Amino acid sequence: MILTPESVAKIKEKMGKYPHHKSAILPAITIAYWQVGHLNEEIYKEISKIINIPIVEIAEAATFYTMFPKEPVGKYLIQVCHNISCALLGADSLIEYLENKLGIKKGETTSDNLFTLISVECLGSCASAPMMQINDKYYENLTREKVDKILEDMKKQA
Amino acid sequence: MADGGNNITLTIDGREITVPKGTTVLEAAKKMGIEIPTFCWHPKLKPVGACRICYVEIEKMPKLQVSCATECMPGMVVHTDTEKVKQGRKAILEFILINHPLDCPTCDKGGECDLQDNTFAHGIDDSRFDFNKYRFIKDRKSTFDDVRLGPEIIRNQNRCILCYKCVRANKEIFGEYDLGVFQRGNLTEIDAAPGQQVDSLYSGNLPEICPVGALTNTDWRYKVRVWKAQQVKSICGYCADGCNLTLWKRRDKIFRSSSRRNDEIDEGWICDIGRYGYQIANAENRLTTPLIKKGNKQVTSTWDEAIGLIARKFKEIKDKKGGVCIGGMISPTLDLASLYAFSKYFRTVLHSNNVDFRNDYKMLAEKYGDTFGKMASLEFKIADIEKSDLILVIGSNLIKEHPIVNLRVRKTVTKFGASLYTLNPFATKSGDISTDEIIFNAGTLEALINGICVSLISQKLNASDVDVSNFGSMANPNTVSSASKITGISEERINALAMALGKAKNITLIVGEYIKASPLRELLSIALNNLTIIAGINKKGQIGFLYKSANSKGAEKLGVIPYPSPNLIGKMKEIWKYYPDSNGLAADRMIRAAKKEEMDAMFVIGANPIWAYPDGQFAKDGIEKLDFLVVADLFESETTEKADVVLPLSSWAEYAGDFINLEGRLQHFSAAIKPQNGSLPAFDIIGRITVEMDKPIFESVEQLNNEIKLLLAVLPEKAAQSLKLGEVKYSEEKISPDFSIPLFVTDDLHHYGHHTKEAKSLAAFGSEPYAEISPAMAEKLQLENTEMLRIESEVGKIILPVRISEILDNNVVVISRNFATTPVNILQMRKKRIDRVKLSKVED
Ligand code: SF4
Ligand code: SF4
Ligand code: FES
Ligand code: FES
Repeated sequence: MILTPESVAKIKEKMGKYPHHKSAILPAITIAYWQVGHLNEEIYKEISKIINIPIVEIAEAATFYTMFPKEPVGKYLIQVCHNISCALLGADSLIEYLENKLGIKKGETTSDNLFTLISVECLGSCASAPMMQINDKYYENLTREKVDKILEDMKKQA
Repeated sequence: MADGGNNITLTIDGREITVPKGTTVLEAAKKMGIEIPTFCWHPKLKPVGACRICYVEIEKMPKLQVSCATECMPGMVVHTDTEKVKQGRKAILEFILINHPLDCPTCDKGGECDLQDNTFAHGIDDSRFDFNKYRFIKDRKSTFDDVRLGPEIIRNQNRCILCYKCVRANKEIFGEYDLGVFQRGNLTEIDAAPGQQVDSLYSGNLPEICPVGALTNTDWRYKVRVWKAQQVKSICGYCADGCNLTLWKRRDKIFRSSSRRNDEIDEGWICDIGRYGYQIANAENRLTTPLIKKGNKQVTSTWDEAIGLIARKFKEIKDKKGGVCIGGMISPTLDLASLYAFSKYFRTVLHSNNVDFRNDYKMLAEKYGDTFGKMASLEFKIADIEKSDLILVIGSNLIKEHPIVNLRVRKTVTKFGASLYTLNPFATKSGDISTDEIIFNAGTLEALINGICVSLISQKLNASDVDVSNFGSMANPNTVSSASKITGISEERINALAMALGKAKNITLIVGEYIKASPLRELLSIALNNLTIIAGINKKGQIGFLYKSANSKGAEKLGVIPYPSPNLIGKMKEIWKYYPDSNGLAADRMIRAAKKEEMDAMFVIGANPIWAYPDGQFAKDGIEKLDFLVVADLFESETTEKADVVLPLSSWAEYAGDFINLEGRLQHFSAAIKPQNGSLPAFDIIGRITVEMDKPIFESVEQLNNEIKLLLAVLPEKAAQSLKLGEVKYSEEKISPDFSIPLFVTDDLHHYGHHTKEAKSLAAFGSEPYAEISPAMAEKLQLENTEMLRIESEVGKIILPVRISEILDNNVVVISRNFATTPVNILQMRKKRIDRVKLSKVED
């Protein structure tokens, strides 16, 4: 088992809140992600057994949401939106800027294990494009300067 | 406008139409003959509005609407052909084609592809998109992206238009969870579930409903362009459901089988056995010439020599010892003409009533008029299952026995909310949608049924017009508590089922192989008859003692059994001016007679009793004692091996004929190809023998068909069910502690009978024997998947790799019989109600 008894208990508690177990898929995935930091097939299998929903449904939901990494990632998971509104306002060059700044390509993690960079579909914050999400937080109306500052702050915190 | 609330009137393209509430705009337009292009819409699936090609303009609505997911409203004014609509369709097609490879020249879907057709009719010939197309395999310029999702399915994600039909049908209709939609955006992928293959019994339907070439069936991949093929109307020749098929052929070779939707039966779905089973026709190791045993060897011969020998021998035996010394077994997967010719030949030429189409049941009845026979002749309609609010399945592994009835049951439960109760000695796939999946101790079914009956009576839920006052003295057990003790099912569950039966408004009862194959079938039939009377199922719903094979019902209706109904005998006498007065023997009695050397010869067509009869030693001993054995079949078999004459038989795809499905529905199938490899259809073989004996029984197939019509007409459609309660006393079986684990012999999920192992695609799903046990049992025996298990009964022993089942959860072992190397019936004994074995691990 990858999931700890505490996670299992939390998932079971969530299950009780919904008339149908299927509704517990997202909470369960989130709980697993909090514990492990990423998701994988083994975890889908465990969740599938706990909430009694076929594994395919767990994997479908988990892979739809890019904010759940599917393999170990750095402390900060940078998810830059590359969808239409953000793209129009320069998401592509922003990604390039980040790649150069961090010295990694999209999909990679810095050697100090601090940052992982990916690009994702629309995060629903189009009005404040371009934007990115780092772990659980949105950073909006981005400029290069803003990005510099955000990364600096994070490095300091780490 | 709304009239009475249930009908809605609207205007489409200037014409008014009235439709029932809940009808979609697309369906209403279809009714009027107006064509609207679709991709993601499917008549049997819930609409999702994913592709948006079905745009229409609706007055007072600012934007274009998807007609497949928009319900008709009173007074709606719809336009399907405006400039705006045309523009919308063009835009959608341009969008869908952004990443589509347009590799039509190498795509199997070409010629029957919705994307081709819709683009042809509604699209533009250019695209404004001038970036590189996204490719699922990026390091290649080609569109090649062959990912095998299952034994017979290849996926090319580049072609996928994300209509989700495959995944929706898989979950919604088939109840399978081996396929999913993963990722999102342009990375969205249709793929097998993690760690799984797409290999359910219904997997072949997925490529068929895929509107493009994203999913393809591997059996005919890259073989033929569909427009160069001829389509032939056929009927599936395997199970009794009777799915309607199209066989696709080119140059006398069949390369594909697809559904020919019949809403009363299959609703456009077929199981993989029907989809790939055609391959037996063009299989490599068909018998190619008659064989005659000379000395100890079968040597090749000619039809003339073989027919001459058969005619001479049968005549000799008949003249010397009488026709009663000749027995006939014929497979119920043969057409009506063959079955009828067989019966007519035995009865009028050989003067013998020894004909039977059942060669795999223990201890068949010896006279006409048993309760079982009456129950089995009751009317049953697949489509009527939908009318039921309660479905009761007793003694049936439904998905294996009747794949398409299974889908109708699933639909009635998941779509219309009926409750499903299954009563079986082990868990089956229906468990996931059962209100209660009742797994009783093997060999105690009549006690359970008695328990349900008493519970109905004590809850005062029994049908009011039935006198149940004596039931207590006729039944043992006659209390719910004793029934509970015997069966291992709690009183609460028995009472709950009885209550559900009592309250249900319409019930479908399905009775399966475990009752039919049991030597106690008569007792069980009486018990079930009691239940149907007490619960009033005979008056509220339908009773289906479902026949197994494509034409079992036809064989029964034509009297291809030793003791047909008096009405039928009367008609035969009238047509033939003769009917033998000897007593006929049922299949197992024939074998017994042979064993006792009271039978000299046997004529077997399409059947394989040595393999099929649930007492392998008995069948072998009997058949080996025969002086003269004639076997006609497609392939060599355990039974042809023993034959003095072997005849190559044609498969149903090689001639035209009729089957009667489990509903009693007569369906005609055309010949797809000519008889292959010098084989002949059974009726032709029989015809030639009778000519050789100077006793021709028919001049043409038309004559046979006319006589068949007369026989089918005599049978009362509704046989009278006995409305009297019968005595049902359970007696405990003596179980030896050494051999205590119930053994169930079945067909593998992807196989049917002894022919399908020769169909390559079906063999791809499984071609090796295995024994299925529960995880708990595996743990007890310390066995891992594929490790060797020794299975011993009092009379035999076999060793098989083990498969740990995801479904089984009690102490039983289930073995598929379809593979040549498993003579699993050597473990069985014909008088035993439940075959029992002991299991042990083979240490290496
Ligand atoms: S594979 Fe075919 S059926 Fe499935 S979503 Fe793609 S286009 Fe539709
Ligand atoms: S085997 Fe039965 S369910 Fe399958 S296609 Fe044939 S008739 Fe239909
Ligand atoms: S397009 Fe970037 S948030 Fe919507
Ligand atoms: S057919 Fe209507 S949205 Fe696809």
